Amino acid sequence: MRCDDIRDRLDVLWDGQPPAEVLEHVRQCSSCLQYQRDLRLVRAGFQLWKREPPVEPSLGFAERLVRQLSELSKTPSVSDFFERVGRRFVYATLVLTLLALLALTLPSTGPVRGLGVADLPISAQEASLAYSDPIGETGVQEPPDVAPVEAPAPAVSNEVK
Amino acid sequence: MENSGAQVAQEIQWIKRAQQGDPEAFGPLVQKHQQRVFSLVYHLVRRRDEVEDLAQEIFIKAFRAVRSYNFQSSFATWLSRIATNHCYDYLRHERASRVSFYWQMGENSQQELEANAESQPEQVLDHEEQTVLKDLVDKLLARAPEDDRKILALKELQDYSVEEIAETLKLKPTTVKVRLHRARKRMLEDLRHWREENKGHAL
Repeated sequence: MRCDDIRDRLDVLWDGQPPAEVLEHVRQCSSCLQYQRDLRLVRAGFQLWKREPPVEPSLGFAERLVRQLSELSKTPSVSDFFERVGRRFVYATLVLTLLALLALTLPSTGPVRGLGVADLPISAQEASLAYSDPIGETGVQEPPDVAPVEAPAPAVSNEVK
Repeated sequence: MENSGAQVAQEIQWIKRAQQGDPEAFGPLVQKHQQRVFSLVYHLVRRRDEVEDLAQEIFIKAFRAVRSYNFQSSFATWLSRIATNHCYDYLRHERASRVSFYWQMGENSQQELEANAESQPEQVLDHEEQTVLKDLVDKLLARAPEDDRKILALKELQDYSVEEIAETLKLKPTTVKVRLHRARKRMLEDLRHWREENKGHAL
């Protein structure tokens, strides 16, 4: 068995007695023997601390504390102030986040928003302008696909002069 | 048993009134739990003169936080949790000392102390030896990582059960067992290293 395993198993020394094979190893291994001695030394130190007489509260400790608490509760503490302000800040942030999420998720058109700009009817002339020069660089106008509105043809007379 | 039930009901009443901001109702709670808090604080910081001030701060903190107590654990456990955290906030600023009376003893005296410590230490060791041994454990605890210190103090000094430690530190009992085992082992390894460092200094 390795020394490290032995030390793991020596842990029971805190509360009881380790098995015989562990003690057998300890007897033959100076390093584990020192470990066992240290363990007993430290355990004894803990026991001494545990048996120390307890510290008693001084006479009237609880009464003095209650008086102090009464005085403290008359004046709101800084932490109470920050708690209140902090809570309001959190609520406000939540509401704003919710509104922002609604704005992003709602469709751009529909019964909630009404008609979008793209849905507005445009005249044939506006359509031709948009087709010929969508970014407005040239100013050259090409004939639109849309049939131009023709001027009324002059009336032809079949009359023989 | 009936009496115990009545006491629990009475305590719940006090807690509920304290939760509504009534300091008078907190008084009986202080009376009931002060001994446990004093003992815990003493074992965690091991300075008699600091105990009362720290206990006072702990009860004030508990009164301010009592609205957050939800009756899931016992009031004593909830209070122990506040006390443990408060003491470690206090200890966090303390630097671990590198000097212990133990290293100022001669090697023969150290070996004698080790041999005597194996049996009943409070009967075999004289007052000076007891002081040395307590100082050694105090310094070892101060050098230990914070989590190890908490768990060792609660188990070895305050005599809490594994379940009580688990509730106080909000851990699972199996985790407490593993951490306790590691903490004890780490402390002994630290003592071995410390012994090596001080080998030349023993008188």
